[in-house]
Amino acid sequence: MASPDRGRSRRRYRLMVAACVPLLGFLVLPTLVILPMALTGGDLIVFPPQGFSVHAFADYLGDRQWIQSTIMSFEIAVLAVSIAALAGTSAAVALHGRRFPGKGIVTGLILAPIVVPLVVLGLGDYLLFAALGVLGGWVGIGVAHGVLVTPYVFISVATSLTAGLNPALVRSARSLGARPAAVLWHVHWPALRPGLCAGAVLAFAVSFDEVVLAWFLQGPQATTLPVRMFTAVQFELTPKIMASASLFIALATVTLLAQALIARPRRELA
Amino acid sequence: MTVAAQQTAPGTAPNGGGGRRVVVRDVWKSYTQGSYAVRDVGFALEPGEFLTLLGPSGSGKTTTLMMVAGFETPSRGEIRVDGIDVAGLPPELRNFGIVFQGYALFPHKSVVDNVEFALLMRGISRRERRRRALDMLDKVGLAGLAARRPRELSGGQQQRVALARALVFEPDALLLDEPLGALDRKLRETLQAEIKEIQRRVGISILYVTHDQDEAMTMSDRIAVMNQGRIVQIGTPAELYLHPATPFVADFLGETNLLTATCLGTDGGHVRLRFADGTIGWAVAARDGVARRIGDPVTVAVRPERTRVLRRADAAETAIDGIVVGGTFLGRHARYVVAALGGRLVVSIAGGSPEPALEPGAAVRLGWSRDDAQILGEPDAPPEPDPSGPIATFGSQALRESAH
Repeated sequence: MASPDRGRSRRRYRLMVAACVPLLGFLVLPTLVILPMALTGGDLIVFPPQGFSVHAFADYLGDRQWIQSTIMSFEIAVLAVSIAALAGTSAAVALHGRRFPGKGIVTGLILAPIVVPLVVLGLGDYLLFAALGVLGGWVGIGVAHGVLVTPYVFISVATSLTAGLNPALVRSARSLGARPAAVLWHVHWPALRPGLCAGAVLAFAVSFDEVVLAWFLQGPQATTLPVRMFTAVQFELTPKIMASASLFIALATVTLLAQALIARPRRELA
Repeated sequence: MTVAAQQTAPGTAPNGGGGRRVVVRDVWKSYTQGSYAVRDVGFALEPGEFLTLLGPSGSGKTTTLMMVAGFETPSRGEIRVDGIDVAGLPPELRNFGIVFQGYALFPHKSVVDNVEFALLMRGISRRERRRRALDMLDKVGLAGLAARRPRELSGGQQQRVALARALVFEPDALLLDEPLGALDRKLRETLQAEIKEIQRRVGISILYVTHDQDEAMTMSDRIAVMNQGRIVQIGTPAELYLHPATPFVADFLGETNLLTATCLGTDGGHVRLRFADGTIGWAVAARDGVARRIGDPVTVAVRPERTRVLRRADAAETAIDGIVVGGTFLGRHARYVVAALGGRLVVSIAGGSPEPALEPGAAVRLGWSRDDAQILGEPDAPPEPDPSGPIATFGSQALRESAH
C-alpha cells in the first residue's frame, strides 16, 4: 500500500541530498581549505600544501608582533563588547514596551551601524579621531567597534525581552514595593540575561575579525590581528596567516556552539 | 480543599488587620481630551469587606482598580486610605497587595522567594523574611512547596502563591484584577472558594474586578455595577438582583422580563400600575428617587423565577392571564415563554414542583407579589460634559512613573 509512496519520498530525499551536499560543500570549502594549508611543510602559502608540519603554528606563536596583535584584538573586542553591552542593553530596556512618536527613528539610529557601509563608518571614525587626536591607539578601535556591534546586543536583548518579559511582572514587582532599580534587577535582568549573553558572543566575534575600521584607525602600535593578516597576505604570504586563521575558525566554532546553547528557548519565561 | 483545614478560628484576623478604609471619591480618568474611561466614580471599601467592580469590558472597572493600585493616575478626584490621599503616589509607595490575571509570579524565583519579595523590598532581615514567608505559605496550605518554581505548580497552587505574596506584607487591602478570567468553569468555582476562605482567615478587605456576574454574586459582600465608566448601582448581590436600578443592571445580572406600564399611583414604597393590555399590578418604586406621577410611563423588571403559576384558588397582588407559547425542561427548572401583557414573559419554575406541565396553547394565570417586581430608573444617563472646566494635572510625576 504505502510502498509507492515511500519509494517516491525516498527518491525525493535522495534528490534533496544530491542537491544539498554540493551546495553545503561550496559554502564550507573555503573554511576547510585553511587547516591543511596551515599544516604545510613549506614556507609559502601554496595549494596543495607541501608535506606536513606544525611549523606555521610555531612561527605564529613565536612571533612577538603577531602575538601582540592577537592580544590587542582580544582587548579591543572586550572593550567593544563592554560598550555594546551597556549601550545596547540600556537602549533595549528603555525602548521595551514603550510607544511614542519617533520610536521607529530611534530604533533605526541604533541599528544604523549595521546598515551604514563600513568604509563610510571607517572614514568618519578616522576624521573624527584625527580631529580629537586619538588616532592610532587600540582604545580608538575598541570604541569604533563598540559603535559597530551595539546593534547586535540591542537586537538580541530586545528579542529576549519581547519573548521573555511579561509586562505584568513589572507591575507586580512595583505593587510589592520595588523601586525602578529593583525592578530592573529582579524582573528585567533575568529576562534579558540570555539575550545579553548571545548578543555579547556575537558582538565579540564581529569585533574580533573586523578589518575595515581597524584598517582606517590602525597605527604602528595598534595593528589588530586581522589587519596584520591582511597585510601579510599582500606582502609576505607566510603560513602564519593560515595558523592564525585556524584560530578564527576555532573561535567561530565556539561562538556557534555558545549561541546554540544560550539561545535555546526558555519555557520558564513564557 | 487544603486551605480549609487550618488552625485559625473563623472570623479572626491573624495579622490583627482587617485592612484600612479605602475611599474613592469623584474620580475621573481621561486618556484623550473630552472622553472619559472613568467618570465620577466613588465608593468606600470598608475594612474586611469584599467589594466587586462588575461590568462588561470597557466599563472602566480595571481602570478604576489600576487607579487605586497606582498604575493609573486619576485625571481628577481622590483616593484615600484611612483619610490620607494616595492618588499622587506611585504603586511602590502605596501598600496594596495585588493579584494579577495569570498571577505574574516571578518565574525564576522559588515559591518562598516570590512570597518574600515584598519583605525584601522593605528591607526586612533575611531571617525575619523567611519566617514570615513560610508562615504565610503555611496559611495558604503550601508550606511543603516553598522550594519549587512557579511553573512546577498547578494553577490553583499558583493562585495561592500569588495570594500569599500579596498578603505577606500586611497590605491595606487586596486588589484582584480578574484573577480567574482565563480559567475553566470548574476550576474557577474551586478558586473562588479558596479566595473567600483565605480572606476569611486573614481578614483582609478585597477589591475585586470581574466581568462574570455569577462570580460577583458568589463572592461579594457588595457589588458595584459599572457601565460606560460609571458606577450604575452599588449594593449587596440580593439588592442588585431583586431591585435593580436600571435596565442595564437588571439585564446584566441574569435573565429578566422588562415590561412597560403606566403609573396609576403610589402606596408607600410601591407603585400601582396598568400594563399595556389593561392588567393592573404592583411593583417596588424606582430607586432613582424620582417620584412617578399618575400617567407616567415606567419600565418594570420581573425575574423569571419570581413569577409564579397560579392555580384556580390562588390569589396574587398582580395576576396576569396568558397563553403558553413554548417550554423547555432544564433539569433544575423548567423555562416557559408565555404570551401576556401584550408581549412575552419568561417564567421559570423549579423542577419537581407540583405544577402540571404547561402545554403550548394552554391558558395560564401568572402572578407575583408587589415586592417581586421592580420599577427601573431611566436608562443610563448620556455622557455628561466635563463637570468643572479643565482637568487638574496633579500627580504628573506619578503619571510619568506609572507609564513605565
